[in-house]
Amino acid sequence: MNTHPYLRAFLAGILVPTLVLPLMLTGFIVLRLWLQISAPIERALVFPMALVPGLWGLWNMFWIGSHVRTHLSVGPHGAILPLLMLPLGTLAATHLGVLELGSAHAIWFGSLYIPYGLIALGWAAAMAAYYLVWKYVVGFLNRTLGIA
Amino acid sequence: MNAHEEDRIKQLFKQAMPPAGDTEPERDLWPAMLRRLDARPAPVPWFDWALAGGLALFAVVFPASIPVFLYYL
Repeated sequence: MNTHPYLRAFLAGILVPTLVLPLMLTGFIVLRLWLQISAPIERALVFPMALVPGLWGLWNMFWIGSHVRTHLSVGPHGAILPLLMLPLGTLAATHLGVLELGSAHAIWFGSLYIPYGLIALGWAAAMAAYYLVWKYVVGFLNRTLGIA
Repeated sequence: MNAHEEDRIKQLFKQAMPPAGDTEPERDLWPAMLRRLDARPAPVPWFDWALAGGLALFAVVFPASIPVFLYYL
């Protein structure tokens, strides 16, 4: 079990967002085909389906390679990831027409008006959520795969 | 190679690789192993419970944030 630690780190990292994808697809089918909601959901799926799992896997590989020097445990390391993902996701969302940036609000999916103050609070909440998921889920997977 | 040379090589091998001696551990390791197996996992710290509670409260107070969260996950 001492071979290919970076491959195992990548696989451990992508597991959580990969498990969330079927739930998102189910939500998409329910909202679009059953409830006939016209929000641009399929464009919103590009970022979480195409980029997020790979980012999680690469971030876990980065932790495996760096924690010997940084001594940073996996939870705080995961909490840093939203600092990278939120600008990337926001950039993708604005270019895909999922997000419009107004003067006082950000408009998601053409219908959700979210004030910027709440977005700052949500950013902190995202870091907290990532801290917990990386500490308990990704950390467990890393231990199970023998890389932590 | 005659018998004398073989004896000489055997002697050299024995000198190069002396016997390992006493390989038994100094103390019985099994009780420590049992203690480790019986040990309960570390409890979840209060800080993590507080974060989880705060996140649940955030989702209840601002349900519009849930699809945005899913977008970034």
